[in-house]
Amino acid sequence: MSEPTTDRTEAQASAEPDFLKVSGLHAGYGQARVLQGLDFSVARGEVCAILGPNGAGKTTMLRALCGMVRGRGSVTLNGTELLGRSPEQAARLGVAHVPEGRGTFNDLTIEENLRVGAHLRTGPRRRGRAERAAVVADLERIYDYFPKLRQRLRQPAGSLSGGEQQMLAIGRALMLRPSLLLLDEPSLGLAPLVTRELFEIVRAVNEEERTTVVVVEQNAQLALDIAHQAHVLEAGRLVLSGPAQQIREDGQVAEVYLGVSVLSRKAG
Amino acid sequence: MSTITAALGTDRARRLRAVLTVLFAGAVAVGAPFYFAPFQVFQLTMVLLYAVALAGLNLLVGFGGQISLGHGAFFAAGAYAAAVMLDRYDTGHLATLPVAAAGCFLLGLGFGVPALRLRGLYLALVTLSFAVFLPPLLKRLEPVTGGSMGLTVDKLQPPAWSGLAEDQWMYFVVLAVTAVALLLARNLLRSRVGRALLAVRDNESAAEVMGVRLSLHKTLAFAWSAMFAGVAGCLYTWVIGFVSPDSFSFVLSITLLAGLVVGGLGSLYGPLLGAAFVMYVPSVSQDLSEAAPGVVFGLLIIAVMFVAPTGLAGLPGRVLGAVARRLPRTAAALDRTPEAESAPDAEPKSRTESGTSATLDPADPAVVDAEPVGAPPRTEKE
Amino acid sequence: MSAVTDLLQQVVEGLGSGAVYASLALALVLIHRFTGIVNFAQGELAMLSTYVAWQLVASGMPFWLALPVTLAVSFAGGMLVERIVIRPVQGAPELTVVIVTVGLFIFVNALAGLIWSFTVKDFPQPFPDGAIDLSGVRVDWSTLGIIGVVAVVMGLLYLLFQHTSIGLVMRAVACNPSSARLSGIRVGRVLMLGWGLAATVGAVSGVLVAPVLFLEPNMMGGVLIYAFAAATLGGFDSPVGAVVGGLFVGVAETLTGAYVDVIGADLKVGVPLVIILAVLLVRPQGLFGRAAVERA
Repeated sequence: MSEPTTDRTEAQASAEPDFLKVSGLHAGYGQARVLQGLDFSVARGEVCAILGPNGAGKTTMLRALCGMVRGRGSVTLNGTELLGRSPEQAARLGVAHVPEGRGTFNDLTIEENLRVGAHLRTGPRRRGRAERAAVVADLERIYDYFPKLRQRLRQPAGSLSGGEQQMLAIGRALMLRPSLLLLDEPSLGLAPLVTRELFEIVRAVNEEERTTVVVVEQNAQLALDIAHQAHVLEAGRLVLSGPAQQIREDGQVAEVYLGVSVLSRKAG
Repeated sequence: MSTITAALGTDRARRLRAVLTVLFAGAVAVGAPFYFAPFQVFQLTMVLLYAVALAGLNLLVGFGGQISLGHGAFFAAGAYAAAVMLDRYDTGHLATLPVAAAGCFLLGLGFGVPALRLRGLYLALVTLSFAVFLPPLLKRLEPVTGGSMGLTVDKLQPPAWSGLAEDQWMYFVVLAVTAVALLLARNLLRSRVGRALLAVRDNESAAEVMGVRLSLHKTLAFAWSAMFAGVAGCLYTWVIGFVSPDSFSFVLSITLLAGLVVGGLGSLYGPLLGAAFVMYVPSVSQDLSEAAPGVVFGLLIIAVMFVAPTGLAGLPGRVLGAVARRLPRTAAALDRTPEAESAPDAEPKSRTESGTSATLDPADPAVVDAEPVGAPPRTEKE
Repeated sequence: MSAVTDLLQQVVEGLGSGAVYASLALALVLIHRFTGIVNFAQGELAMLSTYVAWQLVASGMPFWLALPVTLAVSFAGGMLVERIVIRPVQGAPELTVVIVTVGLFIFVNALAGLIWSFTVKDFPQPFPDGAIDLSGVRVDWSTLGIIGVVAVVMGLLYLLFQHTSIGLVMRAVACNPSSARLSGIRVGRVLMLGWGLAATVGAVSGVLVAPVLFLEPNMMGGVLIYAFAAATLGGFDSPVGAVVGGLFVGVAETLTGAYVDVIGADLKVGVPLVIILAVLLVRPQGLFGRAAVERA
């Protein structure tokens, strides 16, 4: 485990720079084209932050990666084409998407939520004792990451607070043992303190599990803190890409694309 | 949408065409009873009166997005109102019409208030239960309704000055009432009420946010719709001269809905086509088997919902629309580019929202006809 | 017979018919939880299943063998209906889906008439004649049998949903299909399972009620109304509510028919109408339902 520095750009040099490779990605809803051709790569084990204003197409991009929105172009994960697959197929290929607004199963208890996340590993064709033991071990691991969940195993997810639901959603995604974790606006609607806690957990997960993460955020400051690489999306195009630190330090960029808030926060 | 309008021609050309169509249809409608045999004239009369009921149902289902599985009951209520008045109080035929209309309007209000406060299908449940309950109730109220035996009353008789046969006179009277009813339905849709209904159908929450008083409009739509069914029932009594509980079983309600769906939901002339189905499908296919009308209707309904949610009446519009979409694709794409920026990051939330069109103008019949009840089914379930 | 035993007698009979309503209501609630729609063809599908059972018995199969075969056929049939009829309109506006189920209602009803004619058929009574006497209250074996079968069905469903992994997956899909998909669940298959299950539960109601009502294509029309009342009363989201609602509606119907002279046997079918209206006015979400949950 590396030191929790704010600059992680140099921390991890991956042997697989094109673990996730997006090229010429177009996507949209009906006639509205949202993405106008994106190209970027994420190296294995890295955290990639996608920043940009509301309506830039960040969420659409994540959805195109996991099959919730149809896209054109090419998206490969470890060499396997992802486009043209349904979300359930994408999940089978190791893509875990935590949707905006969390998407927990509110009628199910916390433990049941997590078990649904492990569904692909315990399905009818995989009843191995070893796999079950592994799932139980994973449950423990998730509870270690999110101690708050451990206290309420039998409570329905609907009774959790927003932050706890977000944690549960991430926990559920991790139960998939994903090779790619997609986080859509994890800070949405959460108190700043909770958000910070959440991002620290994501950082820990990334460092300990070596899970590749793509996180879409409006809160640029937080996202850049845990990211290795970052891309700024504006009106469906990537207008800026680079190491997270460089993006953070570029005051002009922050002013133009990320809003003044970043600058003032840095100042303060 | 603009390309569709262009394909249909300019506003003036369309108006001219509409006038010509109306004149032609009027001439055919007036000439028909002198050309056909009495039995066929009778059948046409029945088509017209079913069209009134379907126009009412169309207000509710096609435009209001609500389902009634009990319109046969309102039809029955109107028919019985007329029959009882003629039988016991010997009023003239004409006097029965406003009573049947008003009575069914009130009945509709009564059921609409509890059922339409809520989202969902409660209206369908309530109306279905009502339709099942009414025939035994009619049987029970024997002193007034004649019980299972029903009531036989005078049919509408032609006045001497007209020089028309009975079937021809009935045809013209029903034609007149139908024409007024269809006009009324059309004007209702173009009014504030109609626009509110369309808004509610396409996106209930959005309409509510914009200040449409949801439950009020839905309940009013249902009351109007029940009134149309009652008027149709009243005409039925005039034409048939006999009512009995078994004529108005639950099957009638289902048949009316089936006819409307096949004829075309949300279309202005769908009810006429649908009425023809209600009249002729059973009489043609009944010879094959007792079950044949049901098989035909059932399959047709499902098929229509799969391939053409606008029904027969909507087919031309859909075909034009499909062609228009295919041809100027590049031009349309260029037009769209600025809009892409404003495209929301958020997923289109509800199933109905995708069918919403901000440019929808309910006053334009071409638009109304071209707009399907729902957007074509999406493959993704949200 | 004293007034009290007479009352108890009526209650017992009400519970018998209530159990039948409960099982059809349960089928409705299952579909509603999975797909958010009310399946108006549920009763007709049950009727079709009952004809299958009748055909099997008529061709010489013993009833208790014909029953599982029928249930298996119904399960497969329900899955097929989902795949062929419902899947193409999945995600379409509610209205479209409902109209499709109404179309299915008309079609299945007529299909049964086409194959088996509209004449009434005698359906074998699977339970022994006679009754047991509980201090003056006669409880027919058939009533006990019906209640017993429905109780077993409930128990099996409970086990399935609460204690198996497929049950967990089904609940996840009912709760949030989009997230279920993201977890790698094949939602389409689960929905098929749900429809198959609902058709099976509905078939139980048809087979149980057929000896009482006699078998004909319109047999389930009335039962469907009672089942709607039961589901409305219990809450369309609640399986437990469906059962409680069904029993309540059954008892209410029997008592009204027996004690309220104005209603009598012929107007009993007004009871579900009154119940539905009353529930909508007083507690629209039903006894066990959650308040005004909008399905997006």
